Amino acid sequence: MADTLSPPGPVAVQRWQKTGAHLGEVLDALSNLRRQGAGQGAGTRTAVMTLVVVGGTDAEADSCLSSVRALGSHHPCRALMVRPEPDSTPAIDAEACLWQARTSDGTDEHPVFFEELHLRVGGQAASHLASIVGPFALADMPLVLWFPGPPPDPADPLLQVATAVLVDTRFASSDVAEVAHVYRTLLELANRQPVVDLSWARLQPWRELLAGLFEPEPARELLRGVRSVAVKGKPGPRHLLGGWLLAQLDLRTREVTLQDARHVEISLHAAYGEEEGTFVVSRDDTARAVWARATLSCGVAHSQALPLPDDSLTTALSAAMGNLRADRVWERALAAAATLAS
Amino acid sequence: MTTEAAFDNPLAEGLDTVRRAPPGVLVVFGASGDLTHRKLLPALERLSRRRLLPAAFAVIGIARTEMSDDAFRDVMVEAVPGAGPGWAEIVKNSSYITGDYAHPGTFSALAQRLGQVDEALGTGGTRTYYLATVPDVFAEVARMLGQVKLNRPAHPGATVRLVIEKPFGHDRATARQLDAALHEVFDEEQIYRIDHYLGKETVQNVLALRFANAIFEPLWTRNYIDHVQVTVAESLGVEKRGSFYEKAGALRDIVQNHVMQVLSLTLMEPASSIDSERIRDEKVKALRSVVVPQVPEVANIAVRAQYDSGWVEGVSVPGYRQEDGVDPHSQTETYVALKLAVDNWRWAGVPIYVRTGKRLQKRLTEVALQFKEVPHLAFPKAAAEGLHPNALVLRIQPDEGVTLRFGAKVPGQAFRVRDVLMDFSYGTAFLEDPPDAYERLLLDAMVGDPTLFIRTDEVDTAWQIVEPVIEAWSAGAAPLAGYAAGSWGPRQADTLIQRDGRQWRTP
Repeated sequence: MADTLSPPGPVAVQRWQKTGAHLGEVLDALSNLRRQGAGQGAGTRTAVMTLVVVGGTDAEADSCLSSVRALGSHHPCRALMVRPEPDSTPAIDAEACLWQARTSDGTDEHPVFFEELHLRVGGQAASHLASIVGPFALADMPLVLWFPGPPPDPADPLLQVATAVLVDTRFASSDVAEVAHVYRTLLELANRQPVVDLSWARLQPWRELLAGLFEPEPARELLRGVRSVAVKGKPGPRHLLGGWLLAQLDLRTREVTLQDARHVEISLHAAYGEEEGTFVVSRDDTARAVWARATLSCGVAHSQALPLPDDSLTTALSAAMGNLRADRVWERALAAAATLAS
Repeated sequence: MTTEAAFDNPLAEGLDTVRRAPPGVLVVFGASGDLTHRKLLPALERLSRRRLLPAAFAVIGIARTEMSDDAFRDVMVEAVPGAGPGWAEIVKNSSYITGDYAHPGTFSALAQRLGQVDEALGTGGTRTYYLATVPDVFAEVARMLGQVKLNRPAHPGATVRLVIEKPFGHDRATARQLDAALHEVFDEEQIYRIDHYLGKETVQNVLALRFANAIFEPLWTRNYIDHVQVTVAESLGVEKRGSFYEKAGALRDIVQNHVMQVLSLTLMEPASSIDSERIRDEKVKALRSVVVPQVPEVANIAVRAQYDSGWVEGVSVPGYRQEDGVDPHSQTETYVALKLAVDNWRWAGVPIYVRTGKRLQKRLTEVALQFKEVPHLAFPKAAAEGLHPNALVLRIQPDEGVTLRFGAKVPGQAFRVRDVLMDFSYGTAFLEDPPDAYERLLLDAMVGDPTLFIRTDEVDTAWQIVEPVIEAWSAGAAPLAGYAAGSWGPRQADTLIQRDGRQWRTP
């Protein structure tokens, strides 16, 4: 949530870099950064995981980095940015940095230190990233691989070192056939290890609000008679939400309509017995908020609004890091979304 | 209402990792008061911002102060500057009833209003009554709710709960009278007694530290622990509560409730499950193991004192008797030091030293377990001059965390051992800012989780422990000592612990 994710910006306290480095030198450099920062309190490490960002475009990597730093005080982790470049000179270029963030409980402030390491891996080694990532993993801590670009090949040996894999289906192609392909690849991956979709985490407010509209008893009964569902949005989110509703409400594909739009909106019409109801969850264009409204023919009407975080990637990353488990509901939604896309 | 079985909400699957309040109405008695404005409304807004309140939700405020619905809605808006968009929806659904708590008309108006809200929002008859009033009216409000049958759920599946805040009585007899009056109308399962200390994340962390870690619990016995110190220190004075404090004093205001709650969590045996009743059973068992002092021995095991003027945090402050609303000849204690004993297998022979006071050097709450000395020190005495017995300190506020003191070799050719602290701060390790105590407890009450609320037998047992002290002090058994504001308390408190060859920690 926005109010919990606004630590003061972290600052770099120590840096080191080398072109053509051996892994041993990089590991020594990381230890030295800690030692040199010990006077500022960096001798004590509080870490919750090793996070490895693999590939992606420069813009994607920058976006990942700023989110990791923004989360530094809440999810202190050793972050590795690995850029495989199999066609360039066989060498490893490394840059390490020790960051300091501060947490505050309103009374006291505590420094939190976390390390960031950039590795450009050229030549054949780029195809053997597991051997490079492994030595940097913090002992006894989860290792999370984050693929900001296309999802990895499920057979990639690098995946074997991971506790969980982070992906983002938000930017799936506008080509529906490719969307379906990405979803099937992810399902195959999810069969092997926990996959966490940042897009799914980002859509949680919509899901929670829609589910919440059916909590009062008269509305709950209407779930027995959902007649139609319309989901608007960009290709990734609208397919995922459509798939979720298709799977969870056991609908037929023709009862789910998908439509292109800038913002996500879900409309659901239901009738059961003598009761009818309309349920809408939509984004307010004028404010960063999502609104949910239920109107029933018996006269009951309720509505709710939730603020959207200023930085949706950071918030989604925070939610994902707090829940690195297989999500069967997401997997069912993905499978149904693949059907809708094809 | 449908006669078919309740239908599970398939859209909620996978979203139930977080507890959310069900549809319902929160009725706040004392809605025009300070507690509502300062604590309850901001806590509700944070719950709404964290997506923990339902869409079908309303607040009905009740108080004697004349106010329209719109004026109350304005109060709700003003109480939470910068509120999220969800708050506006809750404010829109909320309303206010002006009325005297002794007047039946107030409660029939409430019954009518609740019916209207149920019909408009689908809140289904679920209500939580929060008594943010002076304790004197608790019994009366409960009785009047019973008279209009608002004490029982009107619909199947609905729940009705009553939330009250400490103090629960002025002594054991009045606490029992209050309980008897409440139980005439509400079942014990419907009554949620708040001690906001239990809503603090770090108080709950005492349970996590003890029962989620294999390394601490085996040491948590008389075999290894020499004594326990509980400190609840405040740097503030009585502020604007002088007239209230005059009738209460530190023993009633802090020891009978906050200290006993922290103590019960520290002393309790592991519960067989996380079920609220099992945990509360163990807490009561722990309190019942505390040896109830005898009146004649109080002078030897308890110290009472009152602060004089002094300097706190660089500011010159007046003595207690110079505070607003305080009798210039007041005999009310602002400081208590107490030595307790526990009669059970785990704690027999381990003294528990408790101290609490206002205008002490700094604000802090901690539980310190002082371990026994090693049976034999193999090093020359000079090599271990800087070494003390191990101590495990649970810091409850501020700077919540755990500190372990142990000996380590000083680097160098010589063999010297010195104390070092291994210091863990919750704030540096966890993902989210913890909820504030009211936020946590309000949600628990609405969800129906009584774990962090005090059961009637806990209240009674806590009064039983402190009552002989009250009796002895009322009879003038112990003179009232003085201490300088900004100090760590009177020298008599030092003597109390030094007689046993120990000393207070300097936190």
